[in-house]
Amino acid sequence: MTYAIEAQQLVKHYTGRGGDVEAVRGVDLHVREGEVFGFLGPNGAGKSTTVRMLTTLMTITSGSARVAGVDVTADPEAARLRIGVALQEAGLDIRQSGRELVILQGRLYGLSPAQAAERANDLLKLVDLDGDADRRIKGYSGGMKRRLDLASALVHRPDVLFLDEPTTGLDPASRLTVWDELRRINDQGTTVFLTTQYLEEADQLCERLAIIDAGLIVAEGTPSELKADLRQRRGLTQEPTLDDVFLEATGRTRERAAGEVQEVHA
Amino acid sequence: MNKYVVLIQRSIREALRTPEALFPTIFIPLFFLVVNVGQAAEIFPSTSTPFLAGQNYAAFQLPSALLLAASFGTAALYLVEDIEGGYFDKLRAAPIPRTAIVFGRLAAEALKSAAIAIVMVLIALPFGIRIASGPLGFVLLILLTATWAVVFSGFMQLIALKTRSAAATNSAGLIFFPLLFLTPNFVPRPLLTRPMEIAATYNPVTYIMEGMRSLVLHDLEWPAIGRGFAVVAGAGALMVLFSVRSIRRYD
Repeated sequence: MTYAIEAQQLVKHYTGRGGDVEAVRGVDLHVREGEVFGFLGPNGAGKSTTVRMLTTLMTITSGSARVAGVDVTADPEAARLRIGVALQEAGLDIRQSGRELVILQGRLYGLSPAQAAERANDLLKLVDLDGDADRRIKGYSGGMKRRLDLASALVHRPDVLFLDEPTTGLDPASRLTVWDELRRINDQGTTVFLTTQYLEEADQLCERLAIIDAGLIVAEGTPSELKADLRQRRGLTQEPTLDDVFLEATGRTRERAAGEVQEVHA
Repeated sequence: MNKYVVLIQRSIREALRTPEALFPTIFIPLFFLVVNVGQAAEIFPSTSTPFLAGQNYAAFQLPSALLLAASFGTAALYLVEDIEGGYFDKLRAAPIPRTAIVFGRLAAEALKSAAIAIVMVLIALPFGIRIASGPLGFVLLILLTATWAVVFSGFMQLIALKTRSAAATNSAGLIFFPLLFLTPNFVPRPLLTRPMEIAATYNPVTYIMEGMRSLVLHDLEWPAIGRGFAVVAGAGALMVLFSVRSIRRYD
């Protein structure tokens, strides 16, 4: 089996103002090529830290990770060429136009000016921003910024796309648009690693998922496997939801989870 | 190399699109120039003040104004915006040399400061100031101003990378005031009181100011010019080195 992402005993410790923090405590991941893999967890569980380690943005305390066959610690430069990243904050330069930003991103990945301009045209059409491409990003809505961030992450046709809570803060219509883009991108063969707090999103988009809590993976499988497993173990008469799976895996009750996990129905 | 050019172009575009940030970098140094000259010009008439070399007191003060104009460090404030907005991570996730992220902004800052310095000298010319060292001296004056801008912005970038805070970066910029005032700002070094002379001698900015002043007031005096460039070269190398190291260790 070829994996797009392989992580072995990934650990991240750092010293914060309140002392030593064990953000990730030994995560193993095996994400297959071409799948949409969901990475769920409550706030502070270690999702973003894991993504930042896998995308070369954060050093790894111990353990190892390979993305698209490249060891991210040994050869971060090669790894960066093969991954696309859209983090929790849409990382955009608001003084530029959408087109300028995507072209600049293309140039940073080695495209010629003509190639970058052509790629920008294609991507801006893909994310339905071609009509607003020459406006400054400062005037874009939250949804438009997310879609532009997505476009700029795809400029070099990455093998693996990391999306850290790409729909957080979006209205339901914008969220559905991003879901459509993700499906389209995945149909073109790109592996997608998606962190989200929206369980419905994971259920809709992900072929397999892992749930992380307090820096450790506490459940992993397809959404239906995880639900079936819970139903069998608890002897439930009705099919549980992914919410039930999440709450059981993280040891939370609905009351405790209020405010930590939100759900949006399509 | 293309990646450096692309990032320099981006930083220049950014500066041009925020003209409101450019205005104070010209207005405030000119304001200080006018005020300082207004306060002290009567004390130092050009006819009886040997250190003015036949020019008026404004010529003596011009280097201070140029140094101040090059010490706003706006590149670092844009960097904090990038950090806070997430674009800095986007750049770090791209397959580009870490030095390109540092140099992209610093090179743009140098070009911007050179342009501002040219404007300031052109504004000063009708008021009787001339660049005594000629066209080559004028070029060296602009170059020294621009390279000082790189040093100071490099320092501010370092603060930005360490603190990731706009407030801390902004406050760090105030360090320029003691650096500027512990210099032979109003009179040459030999005329300072002994404690001030000692302080000015240990202040590296003194040598940049004296280098610039020699270009304005005298013919090409290579030892003074050389000391000025040596200070910016040494300080610049340190700032770039620390900034690149800071980006490499940025978690």
